[in-house]
Formats: sequence, structure tokens, C-alpha cells
Amino acid sequence: MKNIIIIITAVLILNTSSTFAQEYNWNSLKDNRKHLLHLTAGLENGIIFGVGYGYQLSSKIPIIIGGEYSLPAGKNLIDDLKTKIGGHIRLIKIHNFCLSAKVQGIYRRYENNLVRMDNFGTYVGGNVGFYSPKLFAALEFGFDKAIVTYFKHGNSYREIYQEAVNGWYQPATGGNYNYGIMAGYSFKKNDLYLRVGKLIAEDFKTDPFVPFYATIGYNYKIK
Amino acid sequence: MWGVRSITRVDICIRFLTKINAMKIIMYFLLIAILFISISSCKEELLINDPGNLVPKTADLDPDIPSVEINGAILHRESFGHPDSTIVLVLHGGPGSDYRYLLRCKALTEYGYKVVFYDQRGTGLSQRFPYSIYNMQIMYDDLSGIIDHYKSHENQKIILLGHSWGAMLATAYINEYPEAIAGVILCEPGGLKWKDVEDYLYRSREIGFFSESLNDAVYMEQFITGKGDEHAILDYKFGLWAAAEEESPIGNEGPLPSWRGGAVTFNALFDTAEKNSPDWTTHLDKFDKEILFVYSESNKAYGSIHAQKVSSAYQKVTLFETKSAGHDMLTFEKGWNNTLPAIISYLNKIN
Repeated sequence: MKNIIIIITAVLILNTSSTFAQEYNWNSLKDNRKHLLHLTAGLENGIIFGVGYGYQLSSKIPIIIGGEYSLPAGKNLIDDLKTKIGGHIRLIKIHNFCLSAKVQGIYRRYENNLVRMDNFGTYVGGNVGFYSPKLFAALEFGFDKAIVTYFKHGNSYREIYQEAVNGWYQPATGGNYNYGIMAGYSFKKNDLYLRVGKLIAEDFKTDPFVPFYATIGYNYKIK
Repeated sequence: MWGVRSITRVDICIRFLTKINAMKIIMYFLLIAILFISISSCKEELLINDPGNLVPKTADLDPDIPSVEINGAILHRESFGHPDSTIVLVLHGGPGSDYRYLLRCKALTEYGYKVVFYDQRGTGLSQRFPYSIYNMQIMYDDLSGIIDHYKSHENQKIILLGHSWGAMLATAYINEYPEAIAGVILCEPGGLKWKDVEDYLYRSREIGFFSESLNDAVYMEQFITGKGDEHAILDYKFGLWAAAEEESPIGNEGPLPSWRGGAVTFNALFDTAEKNSPDWTTHLDKFDKEILFVYSESNKAYGSIHAQKVSSAYQKVTLFETKSAGHDMLTFEKGWNNTLPAIISYLNKIN
């Protein structure tokens, strides 16, 4: 247990200082607009709303680091949340075609009247597609792994099962792949984009309750 | 400790690369991956699919659970009352629920009846099986096995009391074996023909797109998944889904008590029905006994029109509306007290 807390703390500290990932038009980034504010909304494991911040590093190949926070709809807005911190790097550029990769550390929380779950996980993914200064479209793919989860059961669940064991559960408590398309339009300091795609569990057989996602995103770039 | 040593090693490597931003970032990415692998390698943590951790063990794994082997399955069961009395055999809903929420029916023993409960195959505390084993015939065979196990003499009457899916199973069984059953109490079956079931499900699952219920059902899938044979975690998820019905129009007073959901049973029987669009009324003309059909005042997705439509498949029907209760009319005190007189009146009439 102590090891896990140390490791998780280390991951979060290192993530905060180095890496991040979101969706960007790699061909509209400017060296003099390093700060990127981000808004998103849509359907992705629930109706979600999110905000984020990215910082473009001074490097030979574009790298953006930062974090985001999102929460699902519902009458209780503070019981569930997801935070991601990580980085998005453009690996290859051939004319207007780019290949990029992202790695994010995730902390998320879920709570209902039976249980509270705190999870640490990771997201690894990539995009490949066409990026012009104004228009961009790409295929996207990724894997969201829920690595370790703390289960804390409430009294309501104790009435169902008195002996339920609270604690850290691992190895990996869940995992979902996503694949789809992303397309957007860039104008002045703004990017506006749409993502749609499919979600499937790590066994490549089981569909989640809502097996697709569709989100819109907006980036605003400032000095 | 392995994870902490890994941090030190990678930190030393990173110091050599501090002047190269891109390399530094890449190394940090790798470090994150190593750290998460370290977390996964810790030995003392709990396993999510171990029965007994998040959900109780089933009867095949725990000999203290009252059970009987029927048709190759260890089924959790209990019975109350005199062995030779008329049997009221209680069929729980779902598919995939268990009989815990129907235990008030034990009170029928006070009126001279023997009451038998069992968790259907793959649900509650009964043994789990793979998805491919499920079909309606195996559910009939289990029910026949339970009847044979508890029937103490040739003339002992069997009356089925089915709630929701249990009422559908009761009708499907009578449709196959009309001579085996002396009477039946049906409490809000979704329908006895698949089209009626679909119509009812459409109305009963009317949950707001932005509601807490939908969010609770969907959001957790980031935390826990589960493969086809991982019954413990699939059942745990099923239980959390069931708890997300608070904004449903079916009028339940609260969450239904349960032991353990049966996710694979639910999926398999539901998929089978969706595929085959069953009609469980085709031979009901051979069943000429009176039935009691119960629906509830607070279930806005049901109502008297649906009750009349569904029950019309039977020849002799007594329709009864339970006041001040929803779909859970047999579970909570008010609904039970308002339904019990109708049940006793019916049982005494056909006994």
C-alpha cells in the first residue's frame, strides 16, 4: 500500500512537470502562442464536460504538455470526475500528413450510493492524418487502462454484502480501446473540432453500455 | 520496493539528457509506463474477480449456503411451511435478480402454504455457467427439477408466484406444461409476447440523457470491465447498474434487496429473447385455471391498459391493482400489505 501511494505521487508530480496530450491542429501551432486553453463536451462514458490547459514546449518537434479536468452530467456534480495530465508529441511530418502520439496519466473517481471508486490509470494513443493550416482530419486510436482502483463501500452496499472487502484492487481493473475519426477547422487563434468513434472493452468482444463516443472540442491559443 | 528502485534508475538516466528537451519528454513518458507497471507488479493487492471480495461466493463454492443440485446445477434454495401443504413456488425477476427481495412471501406459511424460493441458474447465490448454456428450455428443466424435489405427494398442488421476469418465466412454463400447475399469480410481467415486453421496457427505461442514473450506469465502465467468464466482476457491475434506477418511472420505493446479480444470465436470456421474439401464449388455451394478475398504481410504465392487454392471453383472469406501490409491490411493507389480501383470497379459492 505504501509503495503504491509513493509511486502514484511520483507519477502525478512528474506528469505535472513534463507531459500532456489533447487534440490539436499541428499545422496551425505558432511559436508565439504557447498557451492553449481547451473546452470539450459530448458523449464519452456519459455526457461529459471538460476544460483543459496545454503548453507548447520550445523544441524541434512540437510537444504540448498540460492537463484537463472533466465531469459527467447528473444532479450530483461532485461525485464523479476525471483528471488527465500528460503530453502529446508530433512524431512524424511528411508534407501535410502527421503522426502523433500521446501518453496521459489519469486519476478518476466514481461514486454512487453503494461504492466510491478512486482509480489511477493511463491513456496511450495516437493520431494519423492530414493537417493543413485551416483544415485537419485524422484517424485516432487509443487504449485507456484502469490500472489500480480503490473500492470503498457504503452502508447501502454493506446491507447487500456485509463482508465486501475495501481496498486497492489490481492487477488492471478495466480497459477500453477507442478508435474513430477527428476533424476540425482552425481560424485565427482558434481550433474547433469533432471526434466520433467506437469504444470496445480490452477483450475486443464486450461493448460498453454506450459503445461509442462523440465530442466537440475548442482550443484558444494565446501568447 | 521494486517501483522505488526503478524511479532512481530512470532519474539517473534523465540527468544525462537534461539539455535535450524532446529526449527528456520521451524519458518521462517511459518513466510513467514503468511506474504503472510497478503498480501492477505489487503482490499483496486484492483481485477483482475473486468471489468473496466484492460479491459473495455462490453455493458451489460455499457449502454453508442451502442448496440442491438440479439438472447439473447447484441452486441456492430455501423452503418454509409444512412439507405436504400446497406449494407456492416463488420465481424472482430479472433475469439476473435473486429471491432476496421476495422474502416477505414467507408470510404465506401463516396461511397454511408451503413457500419455496430458489435463485435461478446463474443468479443470486446459485452456480455460474457460461453464456452459451442458457436457453428457455434449461430454465424450464430447472423449474421442473425444483418442483420434483419439493413435491412430497402426487396430489400436492403447485402454484407459481412470479414477479416481473419471474411472471414471464411462469407463463412460459405453463405454456409448455399446462397440466403441471394448479394456479399462478403474475405480478407485472413485462409482457408475454416479446413485442409487449419491448414496449414496456421502452417506457420503463425512460431515463433523462443528463440524469444521474444514466451517468452512474455508464461512467463506471472506465473503472471496471470484465470478460465473458469473469462472473464476480460482471455480477458486481450488474449490481451497480441495478442501483442506478432511482429516477426510473417504475415507482419503486427504493433499491431492491439482493444477494448477487447474474450478469451472464441476464445477457444470455435477454439476447435469446431479442433474437427469437418469443410468444409464450401459444398454448395457454390448454390452461383453463383462474389466474391472479397484479399490477401497481405507482408504476407509470405499466398501468391498467397494459395489464389488461398482457393478461388477456389467459382465459380466466382476476386483475388486481396494488395501491400506493410500484413495481416492487411485494418487497416493501406498504405494497405487501396492500397485495397480501388479494393473494390469500386467490390461493384460498383455488386450493
